[in-house]
Amino acid sequence: MKIAEIKEFITTIPYNKVSLKDLLSFEKTKVNILLAVVTVSFLAMFIIGVAIYLSHGHHAYNVTREHPWGLLIAVYIFFVVSSTGLCIVGSLGDVFGFKDYMEISKRAIFGSIVTIMAGFAVIAFEIGHPVTMLIYNVLTPGFTSAIWWMGTLYGLYLTFMIIEFIFLLKNDMKMARYFGLTGLLVGLAAHSNLGGVFGFLNARTISNGVFYPTYFILTAFITGIYLAFIMYGFRYKLDFTQSATKMLSNLAKIQGLLLSILIFFVTWKMLTDIYGGMPNRSEVAIHILQSWTFWAEVFLAMIIPLVLIIASSGQSIKALFWASLSGMVGIFFMRYNLVHDTQLKPLQMLKTTEYQLVPTWVEYFPSSTEIMISLGGVGLCLFLYYLGTKLFNLDAATTH
Amino acid sequence: MARYGMVLDYKNCINCKACEVACKEENGILLGADKHRIWVGTGEIEGEYPLLSIASSAFIPSQCQHCDEAPCQEVCPTNATYYNENGVVCIDPDKCILCSYCMNACPYDARYVDTRAMVIDKCTFCSDTRLARGETTTACQNTCPTKVRIFGDLDDPNSEISEVLRTREHFSLKSHLGTEPKLFYLT
Repeated sequence: MKIAEIKEFITTIPYNKVSLKDLLSFEKTKVNILLAVVTVSFLAMFIIGVAIYLSHGHHAYNVTREHPWGLLIAVYIFFVVSSTGLCIVGSLGDVFGFKDYMEISKRAIFGSIVTIMAGFAVIAFEIGHPVTMLIYNVLTPGFTSAIWWMGTLYGLYLTFMIIEFIFLLKNDMKMARYFGLTGLLVGLAAHSNLGGVFGFLNARTISNGVFYPTYFILTAFITGIYLAFIMYGFRYKLDFTQSATKMLSNLAKIQGLLLSILIFFVTWKMLTDIYGGMPNRSEVAIHILQSWTFWAEVFLAMIIPLVLIIASSGQSIKALFWASLSGMVGIFFMRYNLVHDTQLKPLQMLKTTEYQLVPTWVEYFPSSTEIMISLGGVGLCLFLYYLGTKLFNLDAATTH
Repeated sequence: MARYGMVLDYKNCINCKACEVACKEENGILLGADKHRIWVGTGEIEGEYPLLSIASSAFIPSQCQHCDEAPCQEVCPTNATYYNENGVVCIDPDKCILCSYCMNACPYDARYVDTRAMVIDKCTFCSDTRLARGETTTACQNTCPTKVRIFGDLDDPNSEISEVLRTREHFSLKSHLGTEPKLFYLT
């Protein structure tokens, strides 16, 4: 391909010219104004949080020697799970050819780009040397490290998602399918490697094993469907078109099945943890059962949405929009629990240098800086998505 | 090339913590309770007065185990953690990205963030200091008043450490994890 052709390819990407005035003009409903205030506040928090981090480094975080991974790791996982989930939902139409889901492809793929960029923005302020990472990831790759595979594959995934999105904008469905399929496979590999980051930890028996690499894919799909409901809820202001209702109703049925499988998986994880007789596993699992964050995850992400889906046979789309908001809060707790629970159990090296008595459980609560950067990630996500709705036509090409 | 290891006759430990001080002094370790390469573990006394278990109150000095199959090395995304020519698990500060994965992967809680150098730090058997100067002992070993520690080449059949491992019963910490530590505790 010649340079001129590449130039022409880029210059012919369809987008709307947007001025600052256009950005600031939106329908002044209560919800829109609230969302605008939330987005701007979160972005301001991001700037303040990053400024504190740049001044004080990791001292600004409540991470410790015993609990080196904190809220920002959980939020990074939250965003990349969202991205993978939206990629799966977007692929239903343009990769696998299910016509009912074609209309959400562009919006979902754009959502997957936005969420992973927010994830990268957050993790950049958790990794101590992000620039060194970019250099030595290439120069001296650690092939035995799940983090290396996860990071490298997610970088590739983002590239494929952007290319797929461009082809979707150009309505070149054939090329979008090729890049979409490649991006999906790379994304699934990256995401299961993220589960592997925890699954490979033989020092932490509560996380070690095959559970997380597979569970991450399942929960990604669930997260993607929640986000599809939320994006469509705002797109149509809860007044859905017939085709949107049909698609969301189908997605609700899939969600019902996925949530049932998830509850089944989590139940068996808990049963084997508690009764499996592995050292250091059962007491951690029992401790997890006694934490309110675990039950927040179970009720908000699993029980409430599943009950609503079953009660309405997947037909009450408006109710499921609200259930999806509850679901996303639950998914956040799911990620937080994953990170925190992995580090709950002290490593039992009889240290009394730091304590008079060795603690039974490692405590952690995020600092204000960690919370501000995390909310900033959400603000960044909302802002980029809003920018996307202005710059691009995110509806299916046939509807305009 | 040697294959360095350490034997600890931990029952001789009197918890004077001279090893902790010597390590900090020799290797320029930051002050602060959570900034340490080595430590003296203290078993909590079990039982109720007057039936207290004296055996449970042992002092167990510990540090990086310099595993032959080190989980921290396997999980490092940039190979910043590596085995040097003497089998010692070391860190290249230029490559460390401070992702803290090694801290989570190490079963022995042997790593911490050096907030001055902004790198994950750990025991290196004094490779950058005493061994680099041609000495044959580590700071902790050299200072120990009750001679708890024996440091040497595990591949040299005539070394003191090899002799002790041949003649005394010993165990390793968390050996069921398959990490193959090169720190040995005499029973």
